[in-house]
Amino acid sequence: MAFTLVLLLVTIGCIAFIVARGAHGGPRPDGPRGRLQGRGWALLLLPVAMAAAAMAGGAHGLAPVELGLAILAIAFFPKLAERLVPYGLFGLAVFGLHLAKMYRAGFTVRVQYLFVHAEAGGWGNTAVLIEAAVLFVVGVWLLLRLDALGAGQVRALAARWLDRRRGGIRTAHALLLLLVAGLVMLLLGPGNWFGIRAFDGLDAAVADLSMTTAALVLIFRSRAWAATVAAAGLLVLGAYGWLIAFLGPAVPGFAYGFSDLHNSPGPTPLWADALEGSLLLALGLWLAPLVMHHRLADPADRELAFRAQQLTKRVQTLTQTRREAVDTAAAELRRIERDLHDGAQARLVALGISLQAAERLFPTNPEAALALVAEAKESSSQALTELRDLVRGIYPPVLADRGLADAIRALALDVPLPVELDIDLPGEVELPVASAVYFSVAEALANTVKHAHARSVRIQLGRVAGMLRAQITDDGWGGADPVQGTGLAGVERRLTAFDGILAVSSPPGGPTIVVIEVPCALSSPKTSTC
Amino acid sequence: MRIVIAEDLYLLREGLVRLLSAHGFEIAAAVASAPELLEALVEQRPDVGIVDVRLPPTHTDDGLRAALQARSRIPGLPVLVLSQYVEQLYARELLADQAGGVGYLLKDRVFNDEAFTAAIRTVAAGGTVLDPEVVGKLMSRRSRDEPVARLTPREREVLALMAEGRSNVAIAQRMFITEKAVSKHAAGIFAKLDLAPSDDDNRRVLAVLAYLDS
Repeated sequence: MAFTLVLLLVTIGCIAFIVARGAHGGPRPDGPRGRLQGRGWALLLLPVAMAAAAMAGGAHGLAPVELGLAILAIAFFPKLAERLVPYGLFGLAVFGLHLAKMYRAGFTVRVQYLFVHAEAGGWGNTAVLIEAAVLFVVGVWLLLRLDALGAGQVRALAARWLDRRRGGIRTAHALLLLLVAGLVMLLLGPGNWFGIRAFDGLDAAVADLSMTTAALVLIFRSRAWAATVAAAGLLVLGAYGWLIAFLGPAVPGFAYGFSDLHNSPGPTPLWADALEGSLLLALGLWLAPLVMHHRLADPADRELAFRAQQLTKRVQTLTQTRREAVDTAAAELRRIERDLHDGAQARLVALGISLQAAERLFPTNPEAALALVAEAKESSSQALTELRDLVRGIYPPVLADRGLADAIRALALDVPLPVELDIDLPGEVELPVASAVYFSVAEALANTVKHAHARSVRIQLGRVAGMLRAQITDDGWGGADPVQGTGLAGVERRLTAFDGILAVSSPPGGPTIVVIEVPCALSSPKTSTC
Repeated sequence: MRIVIAEDLYLLREGLVRLLSAHGFEIAAAVASAPELLEALVEQRPDVGIVDVRLPPTHTDDGLRAALQARSRIPGLPVLVLSQYVEQLYARELLADQAGGVGYLLKDRVFNDEAFTAAIRTVAAGGTVLDPEVVGKLMSRRSRDEPVARLTPREREVLALMAEGRSNVAIAQRMFITEKAVSKHAAGIFAKLDLAPSDDDNRRVLAVLAYLDS
């Protein structure tokens, strides 16, 4: 009893000192106190050595040799002493387990095991196991916390092990759920369960059936969930196997998994349960990181990968449409320049020459001068006509004046066919998109007039499911091929700059339907339009 | 004859003022924006308002809208709309009130001062003058509507010239037929379009309108 008290005091003292010292490796004062603090975790070797000495010497108290060695180690090799602490704790834990096992095998002597009195049966044995488990856990914690011998390797091993377990969950993994379900059914199956008779007859049948069904549904509906439940079940069942292997229920006819436990007077066949538990635990430990990886890392990875893929595609599309838009704009400017140069500009030059000549002729030959002036007037009129056509091709004035809906109405009026209009377009459409849609519809109508041999045409314009949509339907011959003509291809290029599409359905015999769609909300504010 | 001119480009406005003054028209007002135009039309009550479609403040179709507004306040107020381009849509809107006294011409037509002043006089008298370009587009349409489809090619030709604001005499000269023949064609057109006998000018407007609406 006195030893227990001393050991307790020394341990508490060491821990209090370490805690008071604060952060590991912080600044420490000079002098003896500082030297003592520098030892840090190594101090724990003292109670560990005391306990070990006590074990080795039975219940007789302190053994001077062990204690002396510990103190020397703390004083001169603090780093080594620190690293020895976890292993000392492991040794003590294993001794506790062994003690419990010995009691089960018929050993009856009371032993002072650290802070408790160990004895056969009852609380004494349980207390030994609990104390051993605590020592084990503290040992593992210190092993990882301190840079103990082998800790780095253990950590690297754990990382490698986790790393290897990457990859998707397959049906094989999910099928382990059936094993778990079966084991649970066996455990809960007919028979005495801690003295209570349960799950017999119909109850058991219903329970079995529902459990199997649930397991099968989970496996085939959600592999990931089935594998998760299986991993958790395996770990719990495995741990339970170990628990009963060492605690052994004093219940006749109790079954754990595939083995029966009997409260026989002789040594109980605990090894079978321990083995079974170990197998289940191993299986659980094999499956758990896979599930964890899938649950924690994978969804985010998949999401990121999906978004990365989407963004890459988007960038490709934008790069292409931007190049096309720039090319189209440049070609358009070139065309306008050429039209002006050969058309209006040339006519104005001719007009100037005519007027100049008229001026010269006027005093001598007013008749001829007048004829030249009339020619100049004609020339200016033609220049105007050409300019008007050019302007229509750049940006139709009616579109600038009235917006898309009225521009399409005006377009429909110029079609030499009966046109049925169905326009429902409240609000405004931004100019660039309006222009692209206008020219698309114009091109489609021009094709209808030129090639379709249609008797009438129907134009629909409106917003459908977040899209600005125009549809041109004619009752002509059909058989239009959008790949053939350059007109529709140009229209399509123009639309793609706004993420728009052009679709043509034209079976032989008709009808031909041209659909133009441009999304209303786009990422770029410049092109979010309708 | 008193005229209000609305044109935002200074050179064109002054050109019109000079041209029309030279032809003996009295310029009651020459304005540069749609609100001014509306005010001038309503207050001056000119014999004809000559209006550019595109005017400040928005530089879209403000002129056209001001003219329509003025006509809704003063029914039949003669308006001759000028534009760099012509649209059937606008022609239809101008004719919609069936009151006549409407002209719609390309600005180029000003070059031909005789035809232009004749158009002004036709509009002032309550007639309808549409630009040949509009009429051409109009006549190129194949119509599904029965009454219009019943017109003979000759009658369509007469209707087109009517829409351009030409008198029967002018149409006869143009088509190298007698004035009597023109009257016969006109009567045929009115009958086929189910237009009850009334003032001849008004029937001409209605005939053009019937064609526009087909």
